[in-house]
Amino acid sequence: MSTEYSTPARQALQRFLDNRSAALSGAVLAALVIMALGAPMIAKTDYNDQVFLEQAFSFPSQQHWFGVDPLGRDFYSRVVYGARISIGVGLVSAAFSLAIGLPLGALAGFWGGRIDWIIMRLVELFSVVPPLLIAIVLASLLGGGTLNVILISSGFLWVSTCRLVRGQIMANKSREYIDAARVLGASDSYLLRRHLIPNSISPIIVGFVLAIPQAMMIEASLSFLGVGISAPVPSWGQMINEGLEYLFFYWHLGIFPTLFLAITVLATTLFGDGLRDAIDPTLKGQ
Amino acid sequence: MTLYIIRRIGSILVTFFLVSVLLFSLMRAMPGGPFDEDKMPLSPAARAKLNAQYGLDGPLHMQYLRYMWGVVQLDFGIPFQSPGETVTDVLARAWPPSLVLGGLGVLIGTPIGILLGLAAALRRNSLIDYSASLVSTLGITIPIYVVALMLMLIFGVWLNWLPTNGWGSPSAWILPTAAYAIGSIATFARFTRSSMLDVLNQPFITVLRAKGLSERQVVFRHALKNASIPIVTLFFPTFVLTATGSIFVEKMFRVPGLGQYFVSSIEKRDYPMEMALILILTLLVGVAYTITDISYTLLNPRVRVQNDEH
Repeated sequence: MSTEYSTPARQALQRFLDNRSAALSGAVLAALVIMALGAPMIAKTDYNDQVFLEQAFSFPSQQHWFGVDPLGRDFYSRVVYGARISIGVGLVSAAFSLAIGLPLGALAGFWGGRIDWIIMRLVELFSVVPPLLIAIVLASLLGGGTLNVILISSGFLWVSTCRLVRGQIMANKSREYIDAARVLGASDSYLLRRHLIPNSISPIIVGFVLAIPQAMMIEASLSFLGVGISAPVPSWGQMINEGLEYLFFYWHLGIFPTLFLAITVLATTLFGDGLRDAIDPTLKGQ
Repeated sequence: MTLYIIRRIGSILVTFFLVSVLLFSLMRAMPGGPFDEDKMPLSPAARAKLNAQYGLDGPLHMQYLRYMWGVVQLDFGIPFQSPGETVTDVLARAWPPSLVLGGLGVLIGTPIGILLGLAAALRRNSLIDYSASLVSTLGITIPIYVVALMLMLIFGVWLNWLPTNGWGSPSAWILPTAAYAIGSIATFARFTRSSMLDVLNQPFITVLRAKGLSERQVVFRHALKNASIPIVTLFFPTFVLTATGSIFVEKMFRVPGLGQYFVSSIEKRDYPMEMALILILTLLVGVAYTITDISYTLLNPRVRVQNDEH
């Protein structure tokens, strides 16, 4: 370790790279993101091109790496496009849940009292009922579609961000430097904007990254049950559900989306865990 | 302590009330009822009679009160999807399969998970530690239907050892139970490991060792007892959530359990069935958390003192 140029960011990067599973999952994740972004170039056909109808159901071959699906679409292309949905929904939902959870957590942590009580009861309500169950109820009542899936999953994921931010701000607000800033005439909103929220940035980043795999799971589960992403847009959850019907005869329709979903969720989670340990070792195990 | 229990029961009731009001209004607010014109072309008089029969007439708050009065007497109404029986009949028929499979899964998975976590904590950085963390990471992050699909493919399709659906013979129970058990193994292995490591690093363990106790006594008499406290908190909620039937596992293995009704009832706008399922689940989860907290208090004198002081 070079001591000369050692900045906190560089130390964090070093710690991240030293963690073998985190570094590996980062690489896997990067490959998946490239796959999602470059899907039109990487896939052989568009996700909805029914150009191989005569070879429908055929097994993996040199021409069709993952076989052909029942509607005559190249299954490899559909799996590649599936990465867009999974990663896209994961990122956007995490961003939305941050947008809800950060202000609420900051409010609850900073002002405490009645506001805190109300927000915490809300948080409690969300944690008593199993989130996936209510997500399913909402998705079937409101209808599926990408936007609804994103709204529903962020409607649940903000809770943990809110808790994290609240805890961090409550811990920091009684520190001396806040008192000092207050004495110098800083207003509440200035304190929040310039001191308290920037000082909670590491749990916020970690909360954001760890919300991504959870959103991916919600999306895949809703699509698996047929109330999520609507066909023909390819989602891995939806493909697993379809593959299940043909599992006994055409196993390839089940296994590829299953593997990709498992690898993506696993890589994102391990990446988030590694990032947490690297940015802020004191958060470990939370 | 009594005060504490009363307060907890109060908070369950409040949550139960909030959830029921929210769900009730949400379900009635959605467009489309079970006896709409497009589904059943009926005369206005016949529709009015049907609506009255199923409690769909009158102002909304009266409908709610009438419904909740029934719920208190364990009468959840008549399911729209099978009007020949009551919701309670359906629950009585569909719950046992879920209870058997989910309950067995948790009861088998928990001890295995605890043993695995224990072994991992005692042999840190050994092969068993690495395999335990592999199993727990995979089991926690990967959705249960992915696990179930792999089990079906390997043992049902490729090896052709076990049936992958139905409920008739106990051999059909093995795969779904295994899918549930893997989840429990993963969760309990991870918790046991971290909790054991926490305890083993505490000063009193060093004192016990210095006193000359054998390693076995240190681990089983003292460390495990202290480490078991956080493990207890996990057990009841896991049990309730699994034993009410997983939508995914039951769908995949075609088990005629409660799980299927969670989705099918919404699709068919079967309010009574869906309300009954979610209300029961909310109540059970609330009770499970309360039992957990109370047993936590009983097991851990430090928490007990804090609660008494409040």
